[in-house]
Amino acid sequence: MDALISLATAIGQVATPVSLFNVAWATLLGMCVGMMPGLTATLGIALLTTLTFRMGAGDAILILICMYVGAIYGGSRTAILLNIPGTPANAASALDGFPLARAGRAGEAMGLATVGSFFGSIIGLILLALIAPQLAEFGLKFQSYEFFWLAVFGVVISGRLTAMDDPLKGWIAGFLGLFLAQVGQEGIHAHQRFSYGSVDLAGGFGLLPALVGAFGFAEILCVMKQPAYRTVRDMGDRVLPRLRDVINRWWTILRSGLLGTVMGIVPGVGEDMGAWVSYAAARRASREPGAFGKGATEGLIAAEAGNNAAVPGAIIPVLTLAVPGSAPAAVLLAAMFIHGVRPGPLIMIENPDFIMQVAAMLFWASVAILVFGLALTRPMLFVLRVRREHLMPIVFVLCVVGAFAIASRVFDVWVMLGFGILGFALRQMNYPMAPLVLGIVLGDILDKNFRRGMVLSDGSFEPFVTRPISAVLAALTIVTILLGLGPVRRAISEFRRRRD
Amino acid sequence: MTRTPRADFWFSILLTAFGAAVTFESWRMPRLENLGIDPMSAPGLTPGLLGVVLTGLGLALFARGVRAEPDPEPVETEAGWGRFAVTLALCLGYALVLLGRLPFWAATAIFVAAFVLAFTWRERPAWRTGLVGVALALVVAMTVTLLFERVFLVRLP
Repeated sequence: MDALISLATAIGQVATPVSLFNVAWATLLGMCVGMMPGLTATLGIALLTTLTFRMGAGDAILILICMYVGAIYGGSRTAILLNIPGTPANAASALDGFPLARAGRAGEAMGLATVGSFFGSIIGLILLALIAPQLAEFGLKFQSYEFFWLAVFGVVISGRLTAMDDPLKGWIAGFLGLFLAQVGQEGIHAHQRFSYGSVDLAGGFGLLPALVGAFGFAEILCVMKQPAYRTVRDMGDRVLPRLRDVINRWWTILRSGLLGTVMGIVPGVGEDMGAWVSYAAARRASREPGAFGKGATEGLIAAEAGNNAAVPGAIIPVLTLAVPGSAPAAVLLAAMFIHGVRPGPLIMIENPDFIMQVAAMLFWASVAILVFGLALTRPMLFVLRVRREHLMPIVFVLCVVGAFAIASRVFDVWVMLGFGILGFALRQMNYPMAPLVLGIVLGDILDKNFRRGMVLSDGSFEPFVTRPISAVLAALTIVTILLGLGPVRRAISEFRRRRD
Repeated sequence: MTRTPRADFWFSILLTAFGAAVTFESWRMPRLENLGIDPMSAPGLTPGLLGVVLTGLGLALFARGVRAEPDPEPVETEAGWGRFAVTLALCLGYALVLLGRLPFWAATAIFVAAFVLAFTWRERPAWRTGLVGVALALVVAMTVTLLFERVFLVRLP
């Protein structure tokens, strides 16, 4: 109860005229970014980090959170109208959203997606306010051994869940990310690794240039390689959802909000899995599972509530363990460090109000998507009419400026280009990007804590597997790997087939 | 299981070789014993471990690639790869050649105009296509330069 009172107080404190102005433009910009195929929440936050790094920490983080929430929501428009997910998180929304639009119910679909996203986000932020302080306190028990396993588990679970058909590729992406983070000066003895005398390489690969490349330049190459998407002219039906349609779906919204938040908390899994898991749960629980994929409003609401609930969910481990729950959350984490905020287990000691401030920022961003989503449906269709030949060169210019501006290093532009080409090649071979990003973020945590742990244990691996939390994380890692192995998966399917 | 078996096969060889190289380079790294440093905190320890894991993952991918059936019919068209090549060339030309040699606004204007015209030059009427490309290029170059330099106080390349 105290947490909810603190949340209400924080919501009031954040509502200054300047902050609300920032909420309005940043959320609207986020919605536009999410709506445009080829622009993702990760790229939007990375580019805005460049623009806001001279602002105060509070304003900058508010703007980035609004971009995050707006972009994840905005992608539903494209999914509904074009059958192309605006961001990867909206893929599940296209399954029922597009059939609804084809049936002349595009307005209704967008209205329901808006309400689903709003309530999903609200459920997520309430859970953030309730869980994060407890998790931060729990995180104080983590030592080097536990952080080592947390890094390994994060990469393994992210690789498993973001590449369900082919976990091997998810793990390759994750461990490649962990290795890329080893390049440059290491954090214990300041020794330069894999730099071969290059001053630039000694500084390592910057996270933001790498992300701008992997999510910006790679996406430009992918979008330009695809055939052009058709533009949308108009939709004629009502946008404002009927109250009874929303009330009848309260259980779907609540369940999806909870599932989405939980999926958000799992390191590196994020919004797309939040949407898919919520969608699958709604289909299993539905009286008409056959209608899913053919324009079921319940499926659309579940997917949108799930992906938007995953946004606060993904911020929970960022705040409490400094481990991102998704790729956009990884950029948010980097932005927090740039602005002098130190997320992690000590946050409740060093900056106790910050968790509630973040929850309050999420609240205002959610209100903004509800208002703009319902009020500006028709004007925002204009965004979808922008041609890719006009949009993509502008995005590339922003990628170059974004990569350069943080440290004014030309090397960062090269890093952006390199990661863009690497990201494009990996995508063409169906490698997921989220584990790669998570690996880059967790690489330093893995390295320092593994070596510290080995020094503390005098070279013994025993504490890594005998301390209670370490043992649980190690067991979870092993189970996740086993469940992803081909023979084990085939044996499980065979067992299920025989049982049925 | 996999939809790109041929690419996976070649990538697995690359990954295995890369993992082995990382392990070898990590082994060669100084252990800083002359500075009295605990060998368990040697800089090459974690990268060495990751090199071994990458080699293992590469071998697993290789074993699967050997058993995999040939690629299904390619879905992409040559036109798609053509658009990709033009995009890559224009972007690399802008970032590696134009920037640094020309003022930012001029390099950006040339890049945007070239990009738009490269993909729309067949559209008619030609004068309109050209006008749109040039106008967009000038507006983007000026807006980005002014916005970043004057409003956000960001240094441009």
